[in-house]
Amino acid sequence: MNQDEERRSITVTRDFDAPPSILFRAHSAPEHVRRWFGPKGWPLTLCEMDFRVGGKWRFAMTGPDGKQNPAFGGEYLDIVPDQRIVYDNAFELPGAEKMVTTVTFEPLPGDRTRLVARTVFANLAMHATHVGAGIESGINSGLDQLADVVAELRGAQG
Amino acid sequence: MQAASLDQVFAALADPTRRAILSRLAGGEASVSDLVAPFSLSQPTISKHLKVLESAGLVTRSRDAQRRPVRLNAAPLEQAAGWIGDYRRFWEASFDRLEDYVQTLRQEEQKS
Repeated sequence: MNQDEERRSITVTRDFDAPPSILFRAHSAPEHVRRWFGPKGWPLTLCEMDFRVGGKWRFAMTGPDGKQNPAFGGEYLDIVPDQRIVYDNAFELPGAEKMVTTVTFEPLPGDRTRLVARTVFANLAMHATHVGAGIESGINSGLDQLADVVAELRGAQG
Repeated sequence: MQAASLDQVFAALADPTRRAILSRLAGGEASVSDLVAPFSLSQPTISKHLKVLESAGLVTRSRDAQRRPVRLNAAPLEQAAGWIGDYRRFWEASFDRLEDYVQTLRQEEQKS
């Protein structure tokens, strides 16, 4: 991965007490995904999945205020059973940019699995508009340099 | 200090000159004339930028001294950076729920 891509990505890792096949299954159909996707209190009230390479998916969450948030979705770019799922994702809003998420299921000893979800955003500003809480504000290019400024700041203080 | 809105912080950061000023201040406080020189901008222009940064809470200016040095205030930047972290929290929250659900699936599988 090049450095620029690194700056635009977020990786979240978690180990699960179940084999990769079960983790893969939990990702493979709406009946399962509905049960866990998103934070508590933000149910997936729209969950359409054509789970095959080239197939489309479409989700929307409903917030605690009872209003359904803008739908988001994309296409499955790669699916390797029990190993990997790659999809792109964008809000169905004018000017929305895409991010690409790669979910990998790595087997661990003892029938456990390490799940790694890595998302590469079109740019850093997308971090803010895809937080899943329906926040959309006047975020501009400022964010592109924010990480640098903060890093510099920490260096100066530390 | 009154917490500035994130909108104000991001709007302030949207300008390259203002980001450069912040970078300069990360190295230590500076007077307005210290800032004018490296940016080849007029003093009123720099002052205008400082005003934006000040109302976003990103810099403070001391009242006592004649030269009123400008200082960086890190808090809003940290807050903004924290907000970016929300995406990670989204996944972490999903994984919490996934953990429970995976156990359900596992039990079903063992039963059958």
